[in-house]
Amino acid sequence: MEKFSEGPGNREETSRLSSNGLTLNIGPQHPATHGVLRLVVDLDGETIVKCTPYVGYLHRGVEKLSEHRNYMQILPFTDRLDYVSAMSNNIGYCTAVEKMFGIELPERTEYIRTIIGEMSRIVNHLLWLATHALDIGAMTVFLYCFREREKLLDLFERLCGARLTMSYTRIGGLKNDVDEQWLKDLYEFTDEFPMRIEQYETLIDKNRIWLKRTKGIGVISAEEAINWGLSGPTLRGSGVPYDIRTDMSYGVYDKVKWQVCTGKNGDVYDRYRVRMEEFRQSNSIIRQCIDQIPEGPIMADAPKFTLPAKDKVLSDMEHLIHHFVLVTKGPQTAPEGELYVATEVPKGELGFFFVSDGTGKPYRMRIRSPSFVHVAALPRLCEGELIADLISNIGSIDIVLGECDR
Amino acid sequence: MTVNELIKKVFFVEILKGLALTLKHLFSPAVTRQYPTEKREPFPGSRGLHALVRDPETGREKCVGCGLCAAMCPSRCIHIYTSEGDDHKKVVDRYEVDVLRCVFCALCVEACPYGALVLTPHYEYSGYTREEFYYTKDRLLENWDKYMAGPRGAEYLEKFWRPKSSDFGVRVESHMEEGAKS
Repeated sequence: MEKFSEGPGNREETSRLSSNGLTLNIGPQHPATHGVLRLVVDLDGETIVKCTPYVGYLHRGVEKLSEHRNYMQILPFTDRLDYVSAMSNNIGYCTAVEKMFGIELPERTEYIRTIIGEMSRIVNHLLWLATHALDIGAMTVFLYCFREREKLLDLFERLCGARLTMSYTRIGGLKNDVDEQWLKDLYEFTDEFPMRIEQYETLIDKNRIWLKRTKGIGVISAEEAINWGLSGPTLRGSGVPYDIRTDMSYGVYDKVKWQVCTGKNGDVYDRYRVRMEEFRQSNSIIRQCIDQIPEGPIMADAPKFTLPAKDKVLSDMEHLIHHFVLVTKGPQTAPEGELYVATEVPKGELGFFFVSDGTGKPYRMRIRSPSFVHVAALPRLCEGELIADLISNIGSIDIVLGECDR
Repeated sequence: MTVNELIKKVFFVEILKGLALTLKHLFSPAVTRQYPTEKREPFPGSRGLHALVRDPETGREKCVGCGLCAAMCPSRCIHIYTSEGDDHKKVVDRYEVDVLRCVFCALCVEACPYGALVLTPHYEYSGYTREEFYYTKDRLLENWDKYMAGPRGAEYLEKFWRPKSSDFGVRVESHMEEGAKS
């Protein structure tokens, strides 16, 4: 003991080290940052004193690009915001544009959109659970989640031809109709899926390592969560029953039975529980929609905004002219003004804000993405906690940097 | 802490349950695929490499060079060069797709009034130079012969070349004229 303290300057040096702390750079290329998020963390020992997120590494200028594309062409860009749940973004964008144009959707389209929206929620939460568990150290959950995700992606591919960047919805309708066999196969999946959810829960729900890593970590109260602008499961984990699916009118969420899942404590564990419950709710919404889905058209009766029927384009002059105008210039009768429409995507509130000058292109399009807001709240969640818990905090707010940086 | 909880804690009950589950999976058939040796057939209509439809009557491309696909393309990857033919008809001299720019949204298929362009399910193509991914008209027609000839092409157009009249409800004709004037 004495031997150590006798060394010249030894004690002094240690004390100087601890008082200065350490600045650590995590990312942009770090497996636990879920993309290209860079965090500069000031540490005192293992405790985080200050955490500063730097975003923008995946900036592709979607908003600016959209000013030079007509309303139909913007759709593929929305796939690439939150590439984990592209279908939800498609629905969000189309819902916003349809509100602006005043298009009424046929009932079948609303049902199909609700089904694919909830499928997309399951796909997103599966990937979230997989990577979140992997970050914390549970590898098996990752493999099991990807098994189910693959089945849903196959269904997406059969429906529209793409597994990830779907571009399935259209302004005033859908790309193509679903068939009976597809609905049947999806129904089979929903039969099996609740058993799979139980399997994930068997692995981690009561696991003592999982509980130690998640309970009481990253606590945020309901009031603070609202003040930070959190939304989606991240907000509901704090006990705020706010869900745009109930509060705004889109889809057929008012025609099926489901409930908004909320947590209590606002910690990482409660946010995890909320998402696990949403699996079950989404599953039940899909089943009810398949039971209720009516026959009928899938395109709205809005000839000024939807492409005319292909079989009429080459036989009818008006249809042909209209087709040319729509494709080259976009819808010519867009109303002037400003509009904000939000939808509930798996990560939270995805809003589209348009400034329209009446031409076929938006004068300005702004995307309110949940990931950006959630990253902003990250320092609040992890400051004062251990560096190891930073990883579970990043996982629990469910961010995708493609959407954050746009 | 009740006795029950204590027993669960001491004997690692929840961890053993998890281990039992993984052990069960050890004896179930594998869900993974050994990719390069075991290939997965993409579903019909899967959006892969482009192809220009070859008209079975003339043996040439169906494309008339109207340029709507190039106008619709959000990533501006289609380039069309046309000239006037002998009988004052438009002739497509060059039709080129820069596949490296393409985002595979298939909006070009919908924009084409003739159904002259499709996306094939072929997805395995790689190369060492950029020129290999610059598909000219002849190569695009070749793609059609290779991947979409026969009933496959017709099925694709039937399913994905939309919207069709059956997708719309009852439409009043006066609406249509109003739309065309705008």
